[in-house]
Amino acid sequence: MPQIELAGEMFDVDEDGFIQDPDRWNEEVAKSLAAGEGISEVTDEHWKVINYLRDYYLKFGIAPMVRRLCKETGCNLKRIYELFPSGPAKGACKLAGLPKPTGCV
Amino acid sequence: MSQAAPRKTDIGPPQYEKFLPPIVKKNYGKWLYHEILKPGVMVHVAESGDKLFTVRAGSPRLISIMTIRKFCDFADKYCSGFLRFTSRNNVEFLLTDQTKIDPLIADLKAVGFPVGGLGNSISNIVHTQGWVHCHSSATDASGIVKSVMDDLIEYFTGMKLPGKLRIALACCLNMCGAVHCSDIAILGVHRRPPKVQHDNLKKLCEIPTLISSCPTGAIRTAMVDGKESVEIEEDLCMYCANCYTVCPATALNDPLNDGISIWVGGKVSNARHEPMFSKLAIPYIPNNPPRWPEVVSAVRNLVEIWAKDARKYERMGEWINRIGWPRFFKKAGIEFTKYHIDDFKFAGTTYKKSVHLKY
Repeated sequence: MPQIELAGEMFDVDEDGFIQDPDRWNEEVAKSLAAGEGISEVTDEHWKVINYLRDYYLKFGIAPMVRRLCKETGCNLKRIYELFPSGPAKGACKLAGLPKPTGCV
Repeated sequence: MSQAAPRKTDIGPPQYEKFLPPIVKKNYGKWLYHEILKPGVMVHVAESGDKLFTVRAGSPRLISIMTIRKFCDFADKYCSGFLRFTSRNNVEFLLTDQTKIDPLIADLKAVGFPVGGLGNSISNIVHTQGWVHCHSSATDASGIVKSVMDDLIEYFTGMKLPGKLRIALACCLNMCGAVHCSDIAILGVHRRPPKVQHDNLKKLCEIPTLISSCPTGAIRTAMVDGKESVEIEEDLCMYCANCYTVCPATALNDPLNDGISIWVGGKVSNARHEPMFSKLAIPYIPNNPPRWPEVVSAVRNLVEIWAKDARKYERMGEWINRIGWPRFFKKAGIEFTKYHIDDFKFAGTTYKKSVHLKY
């Protein structure tokens, strides 16, 4: 399995760059993942989305539906794409350290 | 926040009218009738008297850019650069000059693309990715399609069947494509429950999603060696692999036990009889690459008993409805087993509730 250095530590990642151990996530990891997603600066609005995803995942064990994410953070899907150019799954979930989205994506 | 350089997006596909031959543009919506002149060749006649000749050739669907360029060369040579692909992935050349039909057919044959697939024939097999590209396949797609069409090529290039016969293939029961509604459907199946990787499961999967993916409720949470994971009630598992679709830690691919099932009697058109689902004919045939001889002979057998017995225009499903399933199994020489009896949720509607039965 490939490894990359994030925030001074080595992490196992899959071929899409999702970290393989959600437990080792922290804010520094999110910041170092941001560069690969076309995000130059992680703003408060980014953190609002990332923290919401993170909290929802820890509480329920799944990533929230897109509708739920938009409703709770107040960012509509267009805004989410402005914040995370690769979208809520490949961008935001990756930064929040969630498992890679599955199914017929 | 910064944005990447402005990129072009949401422009949709190119307008199809840009690629219509002038004769189609001129007569758009004003066609009078069409005729099949010979296998793979048809003519559409417009109100204006214009005639459009179509030559249909089989394609393996999975084609290289070199093949596409070859098709383009033919289109340039014979039909001013216009061609189209059909919904069964055949390629059609649209000609205005009748004298060019035979040279085009000769050129296509010379490079290995048979002309046919029109009328009462077996047209192309709608199929999926198989071992070429998909992670959840129980069998291959391109390989079986090639083997079956090699055997049935006389039905592609000829029109000697009573009606249309559609064959489709899907390599797992996601059923991408048309296996659930085809006259003969070839479908990859598993026969063993998933092997759960307890060490990785929590890291790779969303457990609630995994549990709710199971159509029979066979998955439940469990702690294994102090790790959050799931256990699978193997008596309840029917090996659909839906859990593997949502969770990479529940793989169930198994080279020895994976294989193929064959389904019959589906259709989508409303002609004569309403659309029908295909139903199970053969529960299991082992994978036998590269030529899958057992699958090939099973499909040929089904085609031949139907072709011999069906009335004109009668599709596979209509024929079976007329003679009844017991006689279908007898004629096809297929053993009727417990696997044929529906046992999913409201299965009762598929049971026999009358005394009308042939011995």
